Amino acid sequence: MGLILEVKNLTKKFGGLTAVNDVNFEIKRGEMLGLIGPNGAGKTTLFHLVTGFEKPNSGSIRFNGMSITGKRPHRIVNLGIARTFQLVKSFRYLSLLDNIAVACLSPRGRRAFASWDIDEAASTILASVGLVDKARMPPVILPHGDLRRLEIGKALGTNPELLLLDEPFSGLSYEEKEGITKLIRRLNDEGVTIFVTGHVLRELMTLVPRVVAMHQGRLIAEGPPEEVANNKIVLEAYLGRGEKFA
Amino acid sequence: MMNFEIDLDSSLRRFRTWALSYRGTITLLSVLGLLLIPPISGSEYYAQVAITAMIFTVFAASWDLLAGFAGQVSFGHSAFFGVAGYVTAALVRFYEVHWVLALMTGASVAVLFSLLIGIPCLRLKGPYLALGTLAFSLILLNLFMMGTILGGTEGISGLPVSQNLFMDFYLILAIMIVSLVVMRAIADSNLGTVMKAIRDDETCADASGINTTIYKLIAFMISGFFAGIAGSLFVLNATAVNPAVFQPLYSFYAIIMASIGGLATIYGSTIGSFLFVVLSESLRRLADMALLVFATVLILVVRFADEGLMNPILERSQELWDKIRGR
Amino acid sequence: MLIFGTIQGALLALLALGFSLVYGVGGVLNLSHGAFYLITAYVFYWTIPLFGMTISAVLALAVVVGIAAATFLALIKPLQDTHIGVVLVTFALAFFFEQFVKVVGDPRTHYIVPYVPGPVEFLGVRFQAQLVILLVGSLILVTLVTLFINKSKIGKSIRAVSQDAEAAKLMGINTDLVMMTSLMLSALLVGFAAILYAPGNFIAPRIGWGYLLLAFAVTIFGGMGSIPGSIVAAFIMGYARSFSDYFISTAFSEIIPIVVILVMLLVRPQGLLGKKELQ
Repeated sequence: MGLILEVKNLTKKFGGLTAVNDVNFEIKRGEMLGLIGPNGAGKTTLFHLVTGFEKPNSGSIRFNGMSITGKRPHRIVNLGIARTFQLVKSFRYLSLLDNIAVACLSPRGRRAFASWDIDEAASTILASVGLVDKARMPPVILPHGDLRRLEIGKALGTNPELLLLDEPFSGLSYEEKEGITKLIRRLNDEGVTIFVTGHVLRELMTLVPRVVAMHQGRLIAEGPPEEVANNKIVLEAYLGRGEKFA
Repeated sequence: MMNFEIDLDSSLRRFRTWALSYRGTITLLSVLGLLLIPPISGSEYYAQVAITAMIFTVFAASWDLLAGFAGQVSFGHSAFFGVAGYVTAALVRFYEVHWVLALMTGASVAVLFSLLIGIPCLRLKGPYLALGTLAFSLILLNLFMMGTILGGTEGISGLPVSQNLFMDFYLILAIMIVSLVVMRAIADSNLGTVMKAIRDDETCADASGINTTIYKLIAFMISGFFAGIAGSLFVLNATAVNPAVFQPLYSFYAIIMASIGGLATIYGSTIGSFLFVVLSESLRRLADMALLVFATVLILVVRFADEGLMNPILERSQELWDKIRGR
Repeated sequence: MLIFGTIQGALLALLALGFSLVYGVGGVLNLSHGAFYLITAYVFYWTIPLFGMTISAVLALAVVVGIAAATFLALIKPLQDTHIGVVLVTFALAFFFEQFVKVVGDPRTHYIVPYVPGPVEFLGVRFQAQLVILLVGSLILVTLVTLFINKSKIGKSIRAVSQDAEAAKLMGINTDLVMMTSLMLSALLVGFAAILYAPGNFIAPRIGWGYLLLAFAVTIFGGMGSIPGSIVAAFIMGYARSFSDYFISTAFSEIIPIVVILVMLLVRPQGLLGKKELQ
C-alpha cells in the first residue's frame, strides 16, 4: 500500500502568528482522510504548504517518498497532487470546457490524455462531474454547488493521485452536499487518495474513515470520526470558540 | 506543443462555411477592397496611407495578443518596434543585406529583447508591469539618443527607396494578412487557451499545473516577433529610422488602435489602425484638430464601448442585415 | 546646490503626493495627472492678462479641481471594474488635453512672468526668487495636506478606504465621495505645483508627460499609496537630481526617474515605505 504523503514537523509562521505548529501526519495511498478544525485552525495554510503555495519555516513533506517541501505549485501539481480552493477559483472568461482543458494541458495532463483530443478529454471529465450540458458556458452562470464540481473537474484534469479538497461542503445545500459526497466517494473508488477539510464534522463523518483535528496550528486528535467527535480536547476547541461542532 | 494536423478536406469545408457567413463575407469584401486600392485610385498617396495603416495593424495586433489574450499589458511596445527597425535599417544600409533577411533578423532581435524585457517583468502585475515595460522603452529611447550608437539623434537614413510602391503595398498586405491569421490561430489554439487562463487567474493556472513563467515568456516572444515585423516594415517603408521610434507615443498608438478595435480580437486592430491613420490623414489639413478629434473619439470609445468597435459593429450590422432580409 | 535640491524635492513632493494618494485610495493610476498640471498652467497663462496673477491663480486652481471632479464622475467611476479601462481613459484624457491646449492656444512654448521677478541671493547661491515661493508654498501645502489626512474626519475616511475599501463601505463610508475628494485634492496639489513653478518657466503642450513620469518615479520610489513615502522619496530624488545636475550632466538627470522606476520595480516594488503586499 504505502504512504502517499508524509508530513513531519511542519511549521509555518506569519510574523508573530504560528499558523501551523509542528504538525505530523501521514496519508496512506488510496485512503480518505478528513481534516477538521474551527476557523483559523490552520487548515488552509496546511493545504497551501502541501501544495506549494506557501513555504514552510521548518519541517518536511514527502510525496510518494520524494521530498516536495518548498517546491513551486505547478511542479507539485505535475507530480500528482491537485487541490481545490476554499473560495472557488475559475477562469472567468473561458467556457467550462476550456476551464478543464487548461488542466489537461498541463504536462501531467497531456501525458495522461496523450492519445485523446484535449476537448474530448475535458468533455469526459466535465461529464464525470455532471456539468457537460453547460460545457460552452462561462463559470459565472453556475450556482455555488456546480462551481465546486467545476473545481473538482479542473483538479481531475491533471490526473492526480492525491486530491486535496478545501472545505468543499461549505455554503452548499443538503442536496448539493449529497452530490459532492457521492462524487468524492466515486473518485476514491477509482483510486484517487482524498484529503478533505471540513468545518463541521457531520459532513465528513459519513464520508471518511479517519480524521485528524487541528486547533491553533497543532494537530490535537486523530482517529475514526466517532472517536474524534467525542474527544474532549476537540470539543473544547470548538466550544471554546463558540462555534458549532456537529 | 501544438498539434498542427491539417486535414485538407475539412479545412476547405470549414473555410467555405466561414466565407459564406456574415463575418466571413465582410472580411473577404474588405480584403478585396484593399486589394483594389492601387488599381482603382492609381494614387501613390492612398497606397502609402494604407501601407502605414497595415503596418500599424500588425503592431497593434501584436500588442493585443500580449494584453488581450495573455493579460500582460505593456506600455513599452515601441521597444520591440524600434529595435527591429534599427537592426533592419543598419543591416540594409551598412551591410546591403536583402530586405527579407533584414526583416527576419530585425524581428528575431525583437524576440530577443522581448525576453530581455519580459524576464525581469515576470513578477510584475497590472500597473507595475505597464510601468516596467514603459521604463524599458524609455531607457532605449535615451540610449539611442545619446552619442553615436547607430547615428545618435539623427538615426540611420538613406535606405534604398522602393522602386514600386504598389508592389510594396501588395507585399505588405500579404504580410499583414498572414500575420493576423497566424496570431489569431495561436490565440485560438491550446496555447491561446492557456494564455487566456493565465490572464484570467494566474494562481488558478498555477494550481492547474501550468508553468505560468514559460507561457508568459512565450506570449512576450510571439508578441515581440510581430511587433518587430511591423517595426522593420515601418523603417523599410520610411527609408530611415531615428530614436523617435522608441517614443511612448508609438506604444500608445498600438494600445489605442487595439483598444478601439477591440481587445482580444486580433482582427479588431485593423479597424483601430485604419480609423486612426485615415482620420489623422484626412484631418491633416486641419492639422492639430485631427488629433484633438481623435483624442475625443478615443475617450468616447473607451468610456462607452469597452469591448472595442469591431464586434459591436459587426453584430449590430448583422442584426440589421438579417432584418432587411426578413429573418 | 542643496538649495536647488530642496526646491526640486518640494516640487516633486507636490507632484507625487496627489498621485500616490489617488492610487492608494482607489487603485487608480491617474495618467492624466500630468495633464492636470498642464491645464492649470495654461488656464493660468491665458487668464493672467484678464484678471492679473492672483485671481488667475485661484481661477486656474478652481478649474483644475472641477475638471478632476468631472473626470471622476464621468470617466473613472463607470470604468472602475474593467482591467485597463481607467488607465486607458485617463491616458486618453491626457492626450486630449495636450491637443486641446495646442488647438485653443498654440503649439509653441511660452514663458510665464514670475510673481517676484529677478534673482535672489542666499548663502552665496543665485536663483530665481520665484522658486522661494515654490519652496515655501510647497512646504506649507504638504504639511497642511498631511495634517488634513491624519487629523480631520474626512482624512480618516480617506485612510480607511485606502486600507480596505470593502470594509469602509460596510462601515457606511461613501467610497465614491472619498475617491472623488482624493482626486480633487490631488489636482489641487498638482495645480499648486503648476502655479508656483510654471512662472519663471516654460510651458508647452507636451510638458504634461514629463511631470507624469516624475510623479510616477517618486511614487514608486516611496511606495505607491504611502504619503510619507512619497514625501521622503521626493526629497531624496530632488537632491539626487540636483547633485547629478551639478556633478554629472543635466542629460543624466533626465534618466534618473526612469532608472529609479526600473530598479524599484525589480528590486522592491513596494517602494521604500510602501505596504508589503502589492495590489
